[in-house]
Amino acid sequence: MRFLVMVKATKESEAGQMPDEKLLVEMGKFNEELVKAGVMLAAEGLQPSSKGARVRFSGSKRTVIDGPFAESKELIAGFWLWQVKSKEEAIEWLKRCPNPHEGESEIELRQVFESSDFSAADYPSEESRQLLKAEDEFRKRTQK
Amino acid sequence: MRFMIIRKADKETESGVLPSGALLDAMMKYNEEMVKAGVMLAGEGLTPTSAGARIKFSQGKPRVIDGPFTEAKELVAGFSIINVKSKEEAIEWVKRWPAIDGGGNVELELRQLFEAEDFGDAFTPEMQAQEELLRTQSIKNG
Repeated sequence: MRFLVMVKATKESEAGQMPDEKLLVEMGKFNEELVKAGVMLAAEGLQPSSKGARVRFSGSKRTVIDGPFAESKELIAGFWLWQVKSKEEAIEWLKRCPNPHEGESEIELRQVFESSDFSAADYPSEESRQLLKAEDEFRKRTQK
Repeated sequence: MRFMIIRKADKETESGVLPSGALLDAMMKYNEEMVKAGVMLAGEGLTPTSAGARIKFSQGKPRVIDGPFTEAKELVAGFSIINVKSKEEAIEWVKRWPAIDGGGNVELELRQLFEAEDFGDAFTPEMQAQEELLRTQSIKNG
């Protein structure tokens, strides 16, 4: 099973403060362990929300709201995508993670949908089955 | 430059309602278009927070809190990674997100990803080479 592991933002990350060299090195070592264990699928850092935007859909209307956004605790500063055997394994890995911010940090762990979650009982039509198969192939293509 | 499109959660995604066949179809066509345009790098859906957890680090100590979490509007239900020339181009793609998603009411957040050059001198050529290696191996893990 796969998990998306999200590092929540802080005032500092939202202000554009970069990690110090010590953290960069520690995180690099942790990432290396994840790769060697076959757990790591992807890892990225996000720029502050001041460089981002939100698009709100309401019926046929699209409203673009430029960043920054105020609620830093609910924003994301970075993420990993992990392949593990259980939620417990993901949590064990996380406990060994270097604290990603100075002071307090919060990391949220979320299980990713697999095509097997879309059962034939819920999506019985031939069209749906074909779409789900096409999605599997599409995923393989984008991962290259 | 790369952007992450974050599809915010709502009551339906948090209660585990799966997308309808029509939405699956619309989303697939949208993704196909982005793949053909050479824009799409990844896309995934997340299960409800009831299957997730949070880890809080305080004074270096981790504490685990199991889901579900209540503030649905601030949670993430899915994401895509796209590679575009500008934030404006990213916004143009986001505006074409399937209109039937979330019953026509949905919020998407767009966030720029850090690239190696953003880290300046602290990110030495040796570290950059190591990171490239890790990236290649991560893709193989998939």
